[in-house]
Amino acid sequence: MIAYTRANTRAWSMLGSSGAFGVAAMELPELDSNVAILTADLAFFSGLDRFKAKYPERLFNLGIAEQNMLGVAAGMAKEGLKVFATTYATFASARCCDQVRVNMGHMHADIKLVGLAAGLSVGILGATHISIEDVAIMRAIPNITIVCPADCTATVKATVAAARHKGPVYLRLSGVQNNPTVYQGDFEFTIGKAIRLREGGDIAIIATGTMVHAALEAATLLAERRIACAVIDMHTIKPLDEAAVKETLGAKLLVTIEEHSVKGGLGGAVSECLAGLRQKPPQLVLGMADSFNRPADYPYLLEKNGLTPRQLAESIRASYEEVK
Amino acid sequence: MHDMTAATIDAPTHAQGSRPEPRGLDAARCRAAARQIRKYTLQMTLAAGPLGAHAGGALSMVEILSVLYLDVLRYDVKNPLSEQRDRFILSKGHGAPSFYAALCLAGFLDEKELATFKANETRLHGHPAMDPSRGIEFSSGSLGQGLSLGVGTALALKIRGNDVSRVFVLLGDGECDEGSVWEAAMSAAHFGLRNLVAIVDRNGMQYDGCTGPVMDTGDLATKWRSFGWVVRDVDGHDVSALHDALASSPAGPGTSAGAPLAIIAHTIRGKGVSFMENARVWHHSRLTQAMFDQAMAEQDASAETAPEPPEPGGSKRP
Amino acid sequence: MTNLEKYTKAFVDAFDVPPSELPTLAYQAIPSWDSVGHMGLMAVLEEAFGITLEIDDVIDFSSFAKGQELLKKYSVEL
Repeated sequence: MIAYTRANTRAWSMLGSSGAFGVAAMELPELDSNVAILTADLAFFSGLDRFKAKYPERLFNLGIAEQNMLGVAAGMAKEGLKVFATTYATFASARCCDQVRVNMGHMHADIKLVGLAAGLSVGILGATHISIEDVAIMRAIPNITIVCPADCTATVKATVAAARHKGPVYLRLSGVQNNPTVYQGDFEFTIGKAIRLREGGDIAIIATGTMVHAALEAATLLAERRIACAVIDMHTIKPLDEAAVKETLGAKLLVTIEEHSVKGGLGGAVSECLAGLRQKPPQLVLGMADSFNRPADYPYLLEKNGLTPRQLAESIRASYEEVK
Repeated sequence: MHDMTAATIDAPTHAQGSRPEPRGLDAARCRAAARQIRKYTLQMTLAAGPLGAHAGGALSMVEILSVLYLDVLRYDVKNPLSEQRDRFILSKGHGAPSFYAALCLAGFLDEKELATFKANETRLHGHPAMDPSRGIEFSSGSLGQGLSLGVGTALALKIRGNDVSRVFVLLGDGECDEGSVWEAAMSAAHFGLRNLVAIVDRNGMQYDGCTGPVMDTGDLATKWRSFGWVVRDVDGHDVSALHDALASSPAGPGTSAGAPLAIIAHTIRGKGVSFMENARVWHHSRLTQAMFDQAMAEQDASAETAPEPPEPGGSKRP
Repeated sequence: MTNLEKYTKAFVDAFDVPPSELPTLAYQAIPSWDSVGHMGLMAVLEEAFGITLEIDDVIDFSSFAKGQELLKKYSVEL
């Protein structure tokens, strides 16, 4: 039974999202004795050492063969196993994209596909490992639920929620060790239901993944300049909580923030949601630039992409000055 | 729509749910079934009109299907999702027409429905759409993916302690160009999946012509063997040889107890229709009435004097 | 509880080892002191002493004894 104590959420934050996934994985056989976890040579990276030690017959390493891993997962899922499959977010979305669309999309294979190290977190490994576009790819495939937890506490919650959810899920894990904490204890997490974290009447910020914490920090900085921001954790990008999006219509400016390309991710999803409306605030889409990054460490790349709280606050403020 | 001609037959029966005792193959009956599957395939191809069909690749796998569905596979049309069933996965999804024909003989599909092949709103598409209660375990069409599905299925059966059911995956030889096939092959041997059988329909052709000049897959038997599979090379149109290979247990003499089995079935693309055999254009093409008439006449001419081909739904296996 | 008692209790609770084994206990010497166990211990120590450990110290915290050294930086005398 997972205890969402302060000490635990702090420990999970220090572990980072993969480690938090590994913690949640230990609970999965309690939820469903039919669990199987597959990985493409990333058991250690996925935080699955303890799972491997305790449930060796439930962990399947498919080696560096993501396409096969997806197909094997689909075969197992059809036979009634509760299947998680882990690999880097880049490979989950691009390398085995056909298998994702045919098995998870078209055949609704009940696979929970975990995309590790999404966004810039392994930026030191370069463009091949930085996933700019994984949400955009997954979003365009029908029938796949996409969840981006805001922090490590939410990662544990989301893993358990994904296990209980009926249908294919793409679970996008981002950030590094010492991942900033948004949720210090237990909280209500429902796939498809956004969480309002902060109220403010001037600007509405919808953020996802690691950018939720950054958005909260940016909102604090903007408050010092007497600009009041609401912040919404849109952890489920598909299906988007459209009601929560429409609650932002009264703001003078709507901002979306994601550690993902500005093309086709959360920003795209929100603008599609509002596209048909005559009256809506202008939308500022903040995220990673539509270009490949040169290898560098995580903090450097966040700064290069304008995604630190200070930079976000400044981009938002500048935009607000133009539209208010 | 073209009328499908029913044929009459009597069929062997097996006790519900029981594992059939090894028995001699009724080779003549399998050959008759193969002929009927070819006729249905031609009828579906004609029915598709200008849309055409992948007749060549469908015809090369006919004996494989007849031996599977009349002889080797364990299934129960009245209990199609039974845990004890064998699972058949058509990885070379474009072989759909003859697959549907075999499913019809098996009793999963109604003969009348074959006439809806490729029609709008049909359930019988150019590539199979997943419909397990009608014998179609998975959708296919994107080549190179079926063996992975087979590995996952075989693994799940192993986890559940089901050492009765087997998983059969039918691939094309051109399909073996796909790297994902080899990922799956490697993993099947790694996991010691003795309940998995891959059948390669080695007709030596693909869309752009013979496999050699397009992308030479070389010595497939050696390749599969080097990936840790037990390999049998057979004449893919010889029902007796296919029976021996498909019914063989991976734990039999000369095999490794924990290895999967690969059957390289040497076939002719378009087999049974003179103008289709090894013709490049018959990867996918359309039939005129005249061509159809000639092809059907060739089936009748090749018929043995006895027995009659099986009637649809009459050839069920427990 | 003295600081040393709090420190000892954190280890005993985290790793289920008798106090007598602690003085020589090191990271990865026992299955429960893996990376997951380590972060769990760090979090408990932070809460027990009202401190926030720097990441370098989390990494350098390689044994019971080493930890006693490191905590001095945070004005925790053991």
